[in-house]
Amino acid sequence: MGRIIGIDLGTTNSCVAVMEGGKPKVIENAEGDRTTPSIVAFGADDEVLVAQPAKRQAVTNPSNTLYAVKRLIGRRFDEDAVQKDIKLVPYKIIKADNGDAWVEANGQKMAPPEISARVLQKMKKTAEDYLGE
Amino acid sequence: MSQRKDNIETEQEHALATEAEEQAHLEDVVPEPAEPAGDDNEPLEVQLQKAQATIKDYWDQVMRMRAEVENNRKRAERDVENAHKYALKNFADSLLPVIDSMEMGQAAANAENATLESIREGSELTMTMFVQVLERSGFEQINPLGEKFDPERHQAISMVEVPDAEPNSVIEVMQKGFLLNDRLIRPAMVVVAK
Repeated sequence: MGRIIGIDLGTTNSCVAVMEGGKPKVIENAEGDRTTPSIVAFGADDEVLVAQPAKRQAVTNPSNTLYAVKRLIGRRFDEDAVQKDIKLVPYKIIKADNGDAWVEANGQKMAPPEISARVLQKMKKTAEDYLGE
Repeated sequence: MSQRKDNIETEQEHALATEAEEQAHLEDVVPEPAEPAGDDNEPLEVQLQKAQATIKDYWDQVMRMRAEVENNRKRAERDVENAHKYALKNFADSLLPVIDSMEMGQAAANAENATLESIREGSELTMTMFVQVLERSGFEQINPLGEKFDPERHQAISMVEVPDAEPNSVIEVMQKGFLLNDRLIRPAMVVVAK
């Protein structure tokens, strides 16, 4: 039976914890940080960077570094909040076929949950590395 | 089984009494599931008494194990706290000569006949000493001038047009990065060519 972990998927940072001896323990990631930036970047050669490395190269690749994507989840493209975001962020926010707010990076159109899923994968991996499972 | 006294009543007394214990293996401590004590020809009262005695025995064992787990947890917490407090001791010891050297440098700089050349020399010597101390303690500097930009070890603070530089290469290092035992503790702050 697997262990149960708790993930806080935040707009800017995420955190993962596990119950140990009845108390929650925040798990440090491979770099020794207790929180991880919720950033995904798409580089040349279909390279996908997540978390800290993605944040570090943001300046070199602003249109393909996606952050604060959580703000778009569940929203339609025509909503005021989304239109405001379009003016704030350097990456492309587009209208999906069904009218939802999607993002575009490296020519690929993706749904915001898809981006957040990559962050969740990283948090899951952090927990797996710590728990050895 | 262990050599502890069996007249311990409460969990607290268990916790106080069990200080230097080795972790018992579960098989040694937990007996096999109870066979009904005594045969069925005995009167029920006797069977009941035997069953209750077994229950009390199990309960004692459970309490003891819980106390042991609690002790181990407290011990581990204490060890971690000490490790935090005194982790720096060895590193600090190796830094003391560097502090001495810098003090001497300051004294020399404030002296009457100080020359820029001698101050420069002293400062370089101190720096070399410092870097040696760091390397011996497991630190490694990251100085990626001219290398390809690597987001795992560098942080880009700006991008500039540089005509004859390789795109995505590091053209300036604002701050060196550091690794401690192969874990990144600070990325190098760099300027990248477009």
